[in-house]
Amino acid sequence: MRIAITGGKGGTGKSVVATALAAYFSQNKKVLLMDLDADCPNDHLILSIERKKEKNVYVMIPDFDFSKCIKCGRCSQVCMNNAIVSVKGKNPILIPEQCNGCGACAIACPVKCIGESQKTIGTIYSGKKNNIELISSDLKPGESLSEFVVNAAKKFAEPKEKDYDIILIDTSAGTHCDVISAVSGCDLALAVTEPTPLGAHDLRLILELLKILKVPVKIVLNKSTVGDKKLILKIAEEYDTEIITEIPYEKSIVKAYSKGEPIKHKSIEKIAEFLGRK
Amino acid sequence: MKRITILSGKGGTGKSTMCSSLAVLLSRTKKIVVVDCDVDAPDLGLCLGVKDKDYQWNPVETSYKAELIEKKCIHCGKCRNICKFGAISWDNEKKQPIFNKLLCEGCGSCKLICPVNAIKLVKVENGKIGQVKSKYGFNIITGQLKIGESGSGKIIILIKNKAEEVAHKENAEIILIDSAAGIGCPVIASVNGSDFVIAVTEPTPSALSDLKKGLKVVEHFRIPYGLVINKFDINEEFSKKIEKFAKENNIHLLGKIPYNKEFVNALVNLTPAVVWNKKFEPIFEKIIKKIKYFA
Repeated sequence: MRIAITGGKGGTGKSVVATALAAYFSQNKKVLLMDLDADCPNDHLILSIERKKEKNVYVMIPDFDFSKCIKCGRCSQVCMNNAIVSVKGKNPILIPEQCNGCGACAIACPVKCIGESQKTIGTIYSGKKNNIELISSDLKPGESLSEFVVNAAKKFAEPKEKDYDIILIDTSAGTHCDVISAVSGCDLALAVTEPTPLGAHDLRLILELLKILKVPVKIVLNKSTVGDKKLILKIAEEYDTEIITEIPYEKSIVKAYSKGEPIKHKSIEKIAEFLGRK
Repeated sequence: MKRITILSGKGGTGKSTMCSSLAVLLSRTKKIVVVDCDVDAPDLGLCLGVKDKDYQWNPVETSYKAELIEKKCIHCGKCRNICKFGAISWDNEKKQPIFNKLLCEGCGSCKLICPVNAIKLVKVENGKIGQVKSKYGFNIITGQLKIGESGSGKIIILIKNKAEEVAHKENAEIILIDSAAGIGCPVIASVNGSDFVIAVTEPTPSALSDLKKGLKVVEHFRIPYGLVINKFDINEEFSKKIEKFAKENNIHLLGKIPYNKEFVNALVNLTPAVVWNKKFEPIFEKIIKKIKYFA
């Protein structure tokens, strides 16, 4: 079973829930935890797992052979990311940060003077502790192709999946391509939210996305003792789902969290029980 | 005019809380425009008492999707393996491509490889841009990515252009920009072109790790920046560690904000912290003073 932990808003406690569940399940199950928040992966910090590098993630960016280039500017015309600047009569200039490696320029070049070169955009790490194996995606700062790193990590983990009893996927905040890549193909998503107008606003967005992706979802209400729970109940009803657990804002939890330890709490056991019935 | 962007790496460290309070205080003496660049989950308006329905919205089209013109397709299969984004699968019965709209980046590679022009790129409405005058007197510009669509970065560029336009019209002195969590394409688009960055963090190992990645992006663009430690007292020991990190790396510490349930109450009541409780004013005034010094 593949469970995604997502939520829309940042800082609602996705990694807290993902790591707490991983730690709980690892008492009697083999857990594969995929940290697919490539921008800011933190699960290894919370679980104190030392990561070792598995491989770099590359995209292929154009490599011009200027001896063949006829300076026609076609490559620049077809680039939808404005990554190639072409001035009449001059060699084209690539802006590597803008390039998403789509390869359209190489197809369009009439003299086939565009080859490919590798650009590193991130790294995949792995680590083990007790019954948990962690696969961690990590975007290189300054690069923008988070979803490529997410997809590469997913692909790397795929052959391992059969060896595990449960697969937990921690996603980034937001609703765009890296989250879409991370939650696609999951059997269930847990939307972690908080009872504030901001939490509610972003919960609606992620529920809308999960509906489009046809991934069933349940809500985990974090920091349940601050704010107004009614905001979340209303949305849960609207999207025909439910709050399966409430994690209170308690000193012991905040303390564990701020130290960077997985939290232990009966609200986490409740999620595990729910998943166990599935 | 100065463009000041708030960034954090990690989500939920208090960017929007920070931004709303700074906006209210800055606007008392200066003409400002406030921008929410978190188009995935735009919350800044809520912190300033603005709801989605209050904005004047305009749809934007910054994304393209590939579409098949069936009658032109000669079933050659050249497009089959060209897509780098995995958006093309093959219909074995009809012997023609199937485009997955969620994965299509609109790059046009398939269109270019097709020998008979049977693939076209169609512009899609992938979001909207909103503008509203807040009750505190300044304009807020925001955007919202359509759910399931791609192209956050390009929407952010349009939002920032709009903000520039409004700022010039109003002779604004400051554009205050709230960015998304993370360090990827939306954050890069937000930070690019800024004069100063305020990095907001909290005393947790996760937040510090994300902060370091975020700062690498800022350094990549060679933008000066300063640091604010939010909720510093939930782990004072770790806060000291962050302060030490700042000192060792010559990072200006702009301020430290204590944890207080009143910040949550302010949020729940859709009111900036400094308006909800005046006792927060000096904390943010102090930060503004330092920003003025460094920016």
